[in-house]
Amino acid sequence: MSTVQAQPAPLVEEAPVSLWRDAWYRLKRNRLAIFGLGVIILLAFVALFGPYLTPYDFLSQDLEARNQAPSLAHLFGTDDLGRDVFSRVVYGTRTAFVVAVVVTAIALVIGTVLGAVAGFFGNPFDRVIMWLTDVTMSVPNLLLVVVINASLKTPIAQWMEARYLETLNPFYRETVWIDFLLVFGSMALISWPPYARLVRAQVLSIRSRPYITAAQALGLSNRIILMRYVIPNALGPLIVAVSAGLGTAMVLESAFSFLGVGVNPPTPSWGNMISDGLRVWQHYPHLLAAPAAVLGLASVAFSFLGDGLNDALNPRGSK
Amino acid sequence: MTGKNRLLDVRGLTVEIETRRGPAVIVDGIDLHVDKGETLGVVGESGCGKSLTMLSLMRLLPNKIRVAKGEAHFDGRDLQKMSNRELRKVRGGDIGFVFQDPVTSLNPVMRIGDQLAEPLIYHRGMNRKQARERAIELLRLVGIPGPEERIQAYPHELSGGMRQRVMIAIGLACEPKLLIADEPTTALDVTIQAQIVDLVKGLREKLGMSVVWITHDLALIAGLVDRVVVLYAGTVVEDAPVDALYASPRHPYTRGLLASIPKLSDAPASRLNSIGGTPPEPGRRPQGCPFAPRCPLAMDICRTHVPKLEPVSAAGSHRAACFAVEKALEAA
Repeated sequence: MSTVQAQPAPLVEEAPVSLWRDAWYRLKRNRLAIFGLGVIILLAFVALFGPYLTPYDFLSQDLEARNQAPSLAHLFGTDDLGRDVFSRVVYGTRTAFVVAVVVTAIALVIGTVLGAVAGFFGNPFDRVIMWLTDVTMSVPNLLLVVVINASLKTPIAQWMEARYLETLNPFYRETVWIDFLLVFGSMALISWPPYARLVRAQVLSIRSRPYITAAQALGLSNRIILMRYVIPNALGPLIVAVSAGLGTAMVLESAFSFLGVGVNPPTPSWGNMISDGLRVWQHYPHLLAAPAAVLGLASVAFSFLGDGLNDALNPRGSK
Repeated sequence: MTGKNRLLDVRGLTVEIETRRGPAVIVDGIDLHVDKGETLGVVGESGCGKSLTMLSLMRLLPNKIRVAKGEAHFDGRDLQKMSNRELRKVRGGDIGFVFQDPVTSLNPVMRIGDQLAEPLIYHRGMNRKQARERAIELLRLVGIPGPEERIQAYPHELSGGMRQRVMIAIGLACEPKLLIADEPTTALDVTIQAQIVDLVKGLREKLGMSVVWITHDLALIAGLVDRVVVLYAGTVVEDAPVDALYASPRHPYTRGLLASIPKLSDAPASRLNSIGGTPPEPGRRPQGCPFAPRCPLAMDICRTHVPKLEPVSAAGSHRAACFAVEKALEAA
């Protein structure tokens, strides 16, 4: 019986640094990314606590004070109905964030699951899922949203009306959430393919790495290997994609609302505010400038953060 | 040939790879066995099918490579016929695996404590806390200092030798009956190689398990293994107790391998010995003995017929597959 003695080998004696903390150090050194992160945190705060921050209700009209230029009383002025533009932009932030977060979350879950299954289990799943992805991507997204709006909105509204008359339940009187539901649904439906493709590509490359074979040699089930070995290793690029995706979803929501197929008035959205402002911008430029500037800022912030995350999480990819 | 003592018994294992020109044989009807408590060395050049043989036992072959025929009995049950569920219990539970490259064989985003805990939770039904304690114990067993802190570390924070120790600890986690180590020292410094060999030697005695040690380095395993199987081009060319193999290698390929080990007694300026040529590619195997094209002793029969693995010693424990065994003895 020989005993097994500890044979000390050289070790780096320092507190364990996790991969995520490492990435955070790199991110912190990127000023643009931190600027982006700051703006996003500020906007998220505004989105969460907006109603407590604004001096006016976003719907309250003051017909005595219409189309006023920015002043201390109304930071961004007032619109053609005398509503406080600042309050409306703040509420629009909430709309933008809710739509962006919910849509990205739905798209992410659908995309990750489908992509992981396609990549990990291979054919025939791969073929079917990739076919589905291609079909989805081939549909012009604006057209799809218009079609969904045109075909579903009226029947749902009518059904709600009928239910209200039948039950007199005030729940059926509230139609704002139909907008949201349609916007969420239609946008999620067109937003998942990029995530599915990204995750599939990641999984395909990870699947052939030795640590996956090692995990199989340990007798772990496919589900555990997928959840704890494959997906966490695919997370880096996915986080970057999500950051970019949130920005895109915000812009998309504004674009749809601008065209009148997204969130409809009186619910404020940056998009429909820009649309309103565009008609009178020669006389009241602040009505266009305020929502447009905030939309631009948000979009740029997500871009910067996405870039910074990309560099931080893929240190080998950047120089 | 058969006994109750037999832990692993592989018969006629044939592995094929799918190519554009049809299936090509990589492992050609291998027979090998491991007794309880025995340590077997599997030796051969790169690409001779050592790793694939072991991976195929556990049905871990990559895409396009598959077992065409053969049986692999482990503890009396055929691994090739098991259901996936049964097989998963054997993997990691009864058979531990240590892989070649400790850098890429550990999950980079998981703390090593969690990676150690995984098989314990799955095979031994431990809870997180028990698994954590056992993980610390295992790290101590494989000689990692400060295991209480180490379990919090990520693989990239450890040196290559430490990572290989972690791999071994993972392989040993459930106290398997058989540990298959696939060139576990190739990625390591020479001094660390010796440490790892000593470590496995000690653990084997402590835990009473069988070990299959795959390597291309005959010198490294001399003091570790009981018996050596020499593979060439997916066939067993020699199977012998380790002392007999070193003292009187019978197959010209084994001789070549042994002659290729540089010795300190060699003249300083002398050229290193090597076996000329390369192993045949899959799908382009010669008709007769696969080693014939490179063999210094090849005769006509070697190019037309495949030699069988036959006893070359009185006890029958030393076997070689060569028509020129007698000639090899004379040449020696």
